[in-house]
Amino acid sequence: MDATYVLQLLLNGLVIGVIYALIAMGLSLIFGLLGIVNFAHGEFYMLGAMLSFFTVTDLHFGYWTTILAVTLVAGAVGLLFYHLFLSSLRAADFERSILLTLGISMVLQNGGIFLWTVTPRIVPTPYSYTAVTLGDLQLPLLRLFTLGIATAAFLALYVLLSHTLVGKAMRGLSQSRDAAAMVGIDHRKVARLAVMIGIGLSGLAGATLAPVYSVQPTMGSAFVFKAFAIVIIGGLGNIAGAAIAAIMLGILESLIGGFFPLTLADSAGFIAMILVLLFKPEGLFGRGVRV
Amino acid sequence: MTLLTVTGLTKSYAGVQAVRDLSYEIPDGSISGLIGPNGSGKSTSIDCISGFLRPDEGSWSLAGRDLTGMPAHAMALAGLTRTFQTVRAYGELSLRENLCVATQEHDGVGWWHALRGSAACREADAVARARAEELLGQIGLAAYRDAPAQVLSYGQSKLLAIAAAMMARPRLVILDEPVAGVNPTMIRQIAAIIRALNRQGVTFLIVEHNMDFIMSLCAQVIVLDAGQKIADGPADEIRRDPRVIEAYLGVADA
Amino acid sequence: MIVIWLVLLCVPWLTGSEYWLDTGIAIATFAVLSTGLNLIYGYAGLLSFAQVAFFGLGGYGAALLVTRLGCSFWLALPAAAVVATFAGLLIGYSSLRLSRHAFAIVSLSFALLCGIVARDWVSLTRGSMGIPGLSLPGFDAPAQMYRLTITAALIMLLGFHVLLSSRLGRALQAIKLNEPLAQSQGIDPLRYKLLAIGVSAAASGVMGALFVFHLSIVDPSVFDFYYTETMLIMVILGGAGSFWGVIGASVVFSIVPDLLRFSPDLRLVLYGLVLVAAMLLFPGGFAGLLRQRSLLRWRTRR
Repeated sequence: MDATYVLQLLLNGLVIGVIYALIAMGLSLIFGLLGIVNFAHGEFYMLGAMLSFFTVTDLHFGYWTTILAVTLVAGAVGLLFYHLFLSSLRAADFERSILLTLGISMVLQNGGIFLWTVTPRIVPTPYSYTAVTLGDLQLPLLRLFTLGIATAAFLALYVLLSHTLVGKAMRGLSQSRDAAAMVGIDHRKVARLAVMIGIGLSGLAGATLAPVYSVQPTMGSAFVFKAFAIVIIGGLGNIAGAAIAAIMLGILESLIGGFFPLTLADSAGFIAMILVLLFKPEGLFGRGVRV
Repeated sequence: MTLLTVTGLTKSYAGVQAVRDLSYEIPDGSISGLIGPNGSGKSTSIDCISGFLRPDEGSWSLAGRDLTGMPAHAMALAGLTRTFQTVRAYGELSLRENLCVATQEHDGVGWWHALRGSAACREADAVARARAEELLGQIGLAAYRDAPAQVLSYGQSKLLAIAAAMMARPRLVILDEPVAGVNPTMIRQIAAIIRALNRQGVTFLIVEHNMDFIMSLCAQVIVLDAGQKIADGPADEIRRDPRVIEAYLGVADA
Repeated sequence: MIVIWLVLLCVPWLTGSEYWLDTGIAIATFAVLSTGLNLIYGYAGLLSFAQVAFFGLGGYGAALLVTRLGCSFWLALPAAAVVATFAGLLIGYSSLRLSRHAFAIVSLSFALLCGIVARDWVSLTRGSMGIPGLSLPGFDAPAQMYRLTITAALIMLLGFHVLLSSRLGRALQAIKLNEPLAQSQGIDPLRYKLLAIGVSAAASGVMGALFVFHLSIVDPSVFDFYYTETMLIMVILGGAGSFWGVIGASVVFSIVPDLLRFSPDLRLVLYGLVLVAAMLLFPGGFAGLLRQRSLLRWRTRR
């Protein structure tokens, strides 16, 4: 049991954690503003990853341009998603929204399996085998980039939510729909933006992580269920809480996985969620929407 | 004899004190009113004593039995039923079923009996159906007994809600804005029905904005403003009380 | 009812083909599972993804009791049902105190957790290899297993029917249609919701035990999301809250997968599309459409 091993685990956990955070924040944003639990969220992550694979191999885009392009496409897809499916739903239609997004997820995931088969694919990049060495620590460049990109995304989101008008509107709306309406904020425009950002973050996560692990159509489902657990642990509707809970879970999973059989690592998220629900139902960081 | 005693009811949320140290008594067999401008805490106080909201402080009792802290579903068994501001009915169930549901927890028939379809259960069901028929007749909707409740008009739904609240033979019925948004003819009909039911021995506490309605029905009126009781007494006195007038209209010019 | 039972019992003599017997078992199993889900979602109004968990727990429970502890199947069957029921009450009680949203997500996570544990707790469950050799003495022939399954299914469907047509079923509907109103009338939502979950879980557990003994092996695939997706399609298309609608849909959709045998992935795509279409266009399912027509008749009579 040496420090290097643990540090390595911490780093890996941090990388996974920030990816979880990107996905969970998007999920939380959508729930907070529309009252909808987006079951298809993982599939947008998967589509981001698949798209980045084809963009790199068929269109020969570079690493950075791919990530940018996929994120923008994801945002546009989010817009479409909102207009086609979500705009007609209201918060009271909770069950309908779950089933609707579940249906979409089934179509996307199984359609993906049908079109592309479950064969994992590797996304080639010029950085894939480069690592920075710090003492005994190996820091693969791609993972460092992942951390960097995710951090940049967090900062951008933070600035948006606390310093722009529309961001403040978003925070207001996720606290109270009625109050926001009275102040004259157009709920639909803000909700639409939230969906675009949420899906965009998922796509970004997919594109960023694609070169690090392999890519195949079922990769979304594992992530989305953990994202649900994270969102509950952090507090439904609490975006910062989701991010923190996500990173904590990533690190926890990595540490557990390094010393115990993998099962425990996978189940950690769900067990934590059930514990939180039993003892602190409004989430570890509360303040979010008390469901 | 006092039926309902409320003592020191206090509730604040979202940083606003909705109800502050509210205390009053409702005599048995009366029709009493609870009035006050918007935001005075009327509905909040009602939600508290009917078990839908947990107050910060306070206690209340019905016919001497302490009801403080009891959950909403225990209130009906204790003799307290209510209607809601927004019309609530089981849209897909028939009118008769709507009424029968309202009494099924109170006839002493347990789950095992209900599943077996025992004689006790069938008898209780027959009694319930008879009572439902009687109440439907009183509110004039007997023709719709098999229609799904969704087909009723707004005013008719309000009548159904009152009938449902009566099914379990309560001691006290709290009506939350029973005539809000209802046309004048229907208002008179509702008032008549409340009087008739009251004569059968049921006490009513009515929360309302409609002054004429309250004054025509209620012997005693309690007035709230900004969460506090500002007046409590016979309807005539309340009508002339300067504090009440001020609360509703601002300071009156001489 | 008795007539239907006797008729269904005779099927093995008519065809003798294992294909039809397997289909029959599938229909019976899905009918009970979907009706259980219908009880929880269509009547109590709670979206639940845990049905498959109860199904699998029943299967593994019975398998473990028989292979590890040497119990007789007839003892293991009710014991497995008890395990499933207990699990249901546990997750129900813990999450329903919060909200039905929490229950939906917890039920989902629980189902996933069961699958993960089944796959990875190798010392108990033998992991992906599963527990083979599950045989029921005296019921080795497929025809006999078929008859046993059909009988059990009919008994449970009868039980569901009795429950749903009683005042308990009406209380559940009341809770779904307007919970605050039900509360004000003395109905305790938590008790009834737990009743629905408990009964559903027990029935699913029984069918799970029968199913794995029919296959003579239990493995983690018994927790597959596929079962949940199929049950949901059956309940939603049949019409949540409609007893016969859901049973009808179960029959149809148990047979359909074989017709759509050309590609299992496309079949799921189709299910997904159906789900999306249903949510956007006709959330009440087939039974909902019928109900709307009768509503129209009352409205015009006014």
